[in-house]
Amino acid sequence: MTPVVITGLGAASPYGAGVAAFWKGLAGGACAIRELSLIETDGFRCRLAAEVPEPLAGSTRRTRADRLALGAAGEALADAGLGARDRAAAALVVGAVGGGMLEAEAWYWRDPRDGARPASLSAVRGVLPSAHAEMLASRFRLGGPRHTVVTACSSGAVALAEAAELIADGVVEVAVAGGVDAITRICFMGFNALKLLDPAPCRPFDRERRGMSIGEGAGFMVLESAARARARGARVYATLAGHGMTTDAFHVTAPEPEGDGMVRAMTAALARAGAAPREVQYANAHGTGTLQNDRIEAHALARVFGEGGLLVSSSKSMIGHTMAAAGSLEAIATVLALEHGLVPPTASLATPDPDVPFDCVPLAARAARLTCAISNSFGFGGQNVTLLFRRGGGR
Amino acid sequence: MTRRGVAITGVGVVSAAVTGDSAALGAFLAAPVAPAGEALGAGALAALVDPGEARRLSRVCQLTIAAARLALRESGVDPAAGLGLVVGTEFGDLASTHAFADGFLERGPGGLSALLFPNTVMNTMVATTAIAVGAREMALTLNVPTVAGELAVARAAAALASGRVPAVLAGGVDELDPVVERELARLGFGAECRGEGAAFVVLEPRAAADARGATVLGEVSAAVWGALPARPWGVGRTRHSRAIDAALAAAGARPRDLGWVYASGSRDDARDRWEAQVLGAALGAAAPVSTLGRLLGRHAGLGVLRVAAAAWTARSGLLPATDGTTRVERVRPGRGLVHGLARGGTHVALVVDAA
Repeated sequence: MTPVVITGLGAASPYGAGVAAFWKGLAGGACAIRELSLIETDGFRCRLAAEVPEPLAGSTRRTRADRLALGAAGEALADAGLGARDRAAAALVVGAVGGGMLEAEAWYWRDPRDGARPASLSAVRGVLPSAHAEMLASRFRLGGPRHTVVTACSSGAVALAEAAELIADGVVEVAVAGGVDAITRICFMGFNALKLLDPAPCRPFDRERRGMSIGEGAGFMVLESAARARARGARVYATLAGHGMTTDAFHVTAPEPEGDGMVRAMTAALARAGAAPREVQYANAHGTGTLQNDRIEAHALARVFGEGGLLVSSSKSMIGHTMAAAGSLEAIATVLALEHGLVPPTASLATPDPDVPFDCVPLAARAARLTCAISNSFGFGGQNVTLLFRRGGGR
Repeated sequence: MTRRGVAITGVGVVSAAVTGDSAALGAFLAAPVAPAGEALGAGALAALVDPGEARRLSRVCQLTIAAARLALRESGVDPAAGLGLVVGTEFGDLASTHAFADGFLERGPGGLSALLFPNTVMNTMVATTAIAVGAREMALTLNVPTVAGELAVARAAAALASGRVPAVLAGGVDELDPVVERELARLGFGAECRGEGAAFVVLEPRAAADARGATVLGEVSAAVWGALPARPWGVGRTRHSRAIDAALAAAGARPRDLGWVYASGSRDDARDRWEAQVLGAALGAAAPVSTLGRLLGRHAGLGVLRVAAAAWTARSGLLPATDGTTRVERVRPGRGLVHGLARGGTHVALVVDAA
């Protein structure tokens, strides 16, 4: 199969626009989880989230999520230096969940009963996750195969895996892929209803953890065949050497208690990359901060890599759970960790959980010689994805 | 993107007009009777979803599970040997999303249902179906207007062709949602024939199907998806389809080899005209075209049903008329095209052959 490399990165994160701001925030261990201002929080146990600060890319007539996607995908395309001809053949794979739900909610909230809402195409069409791909393809003239995947919280990672498969199978040579989600009332209220939100900023892998914090953002990558990247002299950040996608088939919201689906995803990624577990030095964990997820993920990591076999950290401790963007933003964090030889920390980790048998890099980033790292993403419905990256070359 | 033969070994359809496996679908297509109403009654589901599931799961999840079970039962594939799941949908479980929001709007935070919330995420049908049938490999929900079902089949076929999964349940599902229907009508899209239901096909490599002695209902010889330039939710002007060209090339077929075409027409006039132009440019006017849209109403399940119907036409040489009547034409059996073109430009072409 054709090796797949990363040649462009783009992010719109709770640290602001751009990959530079994203990495600066992560490397500095800065927690971007604050009072939520986008929506009303009266009556809810948790009132925090990690919002992307203004200014956002694009016109205010677009949905917030579209604007996040526009900024991140635009940055990735510019970073990769893709010209018009490259873009005309490039595939586009977007992971999304909420679509333009934030704006559709504002429309729906006006009056639930009397039909006084104005007719709105965007409330019917913009709400769909596929709206982002249509917008991005039109705006950037991306003319290759296009699809939108929805696998809940692992959507962004699945989009990257899907793009890698299109390249590895020889369908396209270049793809733009990533995930996007804006904070929505439905999401905030839903996780509150499930009692899965920590009233304080989340504390993944901490003994005192009480749940997750939600966030928003977009992360996009340009992926291409290694041969093509070499031929055009592109900067290569890393190689997406393997991935695994599995399903628990166990419960809609709870992970399978032994982590079997997670183990199969990690094992499949290792197998596809031809990597032994000992080669992997770092795992950017799904690490939500919920009692169950962190315990089961740690158990699954131990089954694959052995207790203490690698460094583990959670980006969600700093930027919250950015939903469909989480898998792609955390993949970018993993790629940058490889490039900089620096493991981003798990912020707010004051009292490590003794049931988590790993060094979870508490509070401050740590320098490390990294050549191979994984990024885990696990979604509602037991939708597990592991991406395995190897350090790439310089320009 | 599929270049190796992918066998169809099971069909499951749950719709207002027909519910059953490939035999039930064939019987319906041979003498199609348009349903009296568009909405699917609860009775059709009762035999396919157990009472516990019926209590616990939303209606659209029940439709999905029922059709998936029918297809899996016909195929005889053992999920324990490795089964992927790819489901296309346009609207997902919007009914649950509205119900969840209404709970808050009527009663505040105390009115929120923790049980409903997971259904507001569009992958809820995949999640519940994976649990119901024991599918533990890749499981994808694909969202796109108009062609979500066709895209699910194409994506599943590609996964099989590259050897990533041993078998895949590929399906599509949508249900009619009163808010969506009302708003589309207000926006001038009321004339489109819309419907609801779920349809699945079980796909596996032809060699694997033959090795286990499965009945092969048809073969997806090529599956390609791409995009034509268009504004979001708009129709475009480009007529040349690289997807059709690539599908024909992958199948080793020429346009004149196609005996018939199943297209995605649904009386969305602007979109239908664009698709007719694209098909005309690629194939000429020789092959008869059927859509089934007027008969069953457009929904993501219909895209998959068209693939199953194509396998039936490839076997029988019969093609239901596009005009929504009970008329059935005789066509050249053997090989045909399933084509879908969405507003926004997403575009799917599948070459389907007789077994």
